[in-house]
Amino acid sequence: MKVLITTLSIIIAIIGLALSILPFGYIAILPIIVSFILGLIAFKQMQKDGKNTTIIKIVFAILIISLGLSIYNALKPNEINIDQETIEQQKQSDEETLEELEDIEIDD
Amino acid sequence: MYFRHNKCIKLRYLKNPFMNRIQLVFVLLLSLFTQAQNNTIAAGEKLTFTASYNMSGLMTDLAQVTMETKEVNTSKATLLRLRCIAQTYSKWDNFFKINDIYETYVNPKNLTPYLHKREINEGGYYKKMQYNFDKGVNKVKSVKTKRRKDGTFWDENKNFNISANTNDIVTTIYYIRNLDIHKAAVGSSDNFTILFDNEETSMKIKLLGKETITTKIGKKECYKLAISLSNSNILSGSNDNLLWLTADANKIPVLAKFKVPVGNGELKIQSATGLKH
Repeated sequence: MKVLITTLSIIIAIIGLALSILPFGYIAILPIIVSFILGLIAFKQMQKDGKNTTIIKIVFAILIISLGLSIYNALKPNEINIDQETIEQQKQSDEETLEELEDIEIDD
Repeated sequence: MYFRHNKCIKLRYLKNPFMNRIQLVFVLLLSLFTQAQNNTIAAGEKLTFTASYNMSGLMTDLAQVTMETKEVNTSKATLLRLRCIAQTYSKWDNFFKINDIYETYVNPKNLTPYLHKREINEGGYYKKMQYNFDKGVNKVKSVKTKRRKDGTFWDENKNFNISANTNDIVTTIYYIRNLDIHKAAVGSSDNFTILFDNEETSMKIKLLGKETITTKIGKKECYKLAISLSNSNILSGSNDNLLWLTADANKIPVLAKFKVPVGNGELKIQSATGLKH
């Protein structure tokens, strides 16, 4: 049971880390919480049994990093990047379009 | 359902559509039966939206969509450029970058389209479509450009007939705003035809009523419209895809909710400048 809880905590922590790297906002919070609860249970049991708790401490470290990344991504303002190349391409495209439109005559 | 002012338009144009590149982005919907006087859209208008997608119950902001108009002068005519751009927010660019541009050059008086360009750049996928409309004889000259894996491009040219009420997607979106919705009865509907990927798609719009909603540009009384496309997997369903237009002379699209096969999302207005009224 202890091994199962520890394994689940590790797997879910990794999922949380992956989701926090992606800019999904607060979606990573759920696996982080679940992993933390499972990790805490495993930690208490290991302490009780006098086992090495290093693995759980690593899980907690991953969770702290995930939480930080998740909050950072969620709070990051929505901005768009328009590079110079795109601007130049658009300018050229507009000029080409204008040439194509030269033959249009409107009779209204 | 909507009252439309008839106006005859004769246009002549031509030139070999020759394309190489352009960058474009975005999306939505319609077409028209006859051309109406443009009383709603002015040059210099700019609407900015945030596009969000529902991920596991959480709305995540994905992209910015802008709709802007500009007056374009050639030696023989003055046209109105309607441009829609969709760009992913920079935080998404490393995972899946989208930069799509849809634009149409129309007659500013009645929104008759002459030239439509759509250029999509989505995570490495590139495609460009160009339609040269000859509405006088209901013909379209189409050029599709795609990029091969080795980076080279290939073109596919087609000439085909369209029905008199067929328009490109951008013209249709703006045309909806130009409809006399206040004269329509709640529950009434209208059909439009859109030319998309060289195919004519029928679209139905139904007026569901009026609703007051709170937006970034204030609390607005809006027309609530249901939109559905026939013969298409996207935007299907009866009342699944909704559009709110302000119930004033500008008829600004302030909110859109849509369902697609892989989930649902929404477009929310962030700012509106250069409005005609």
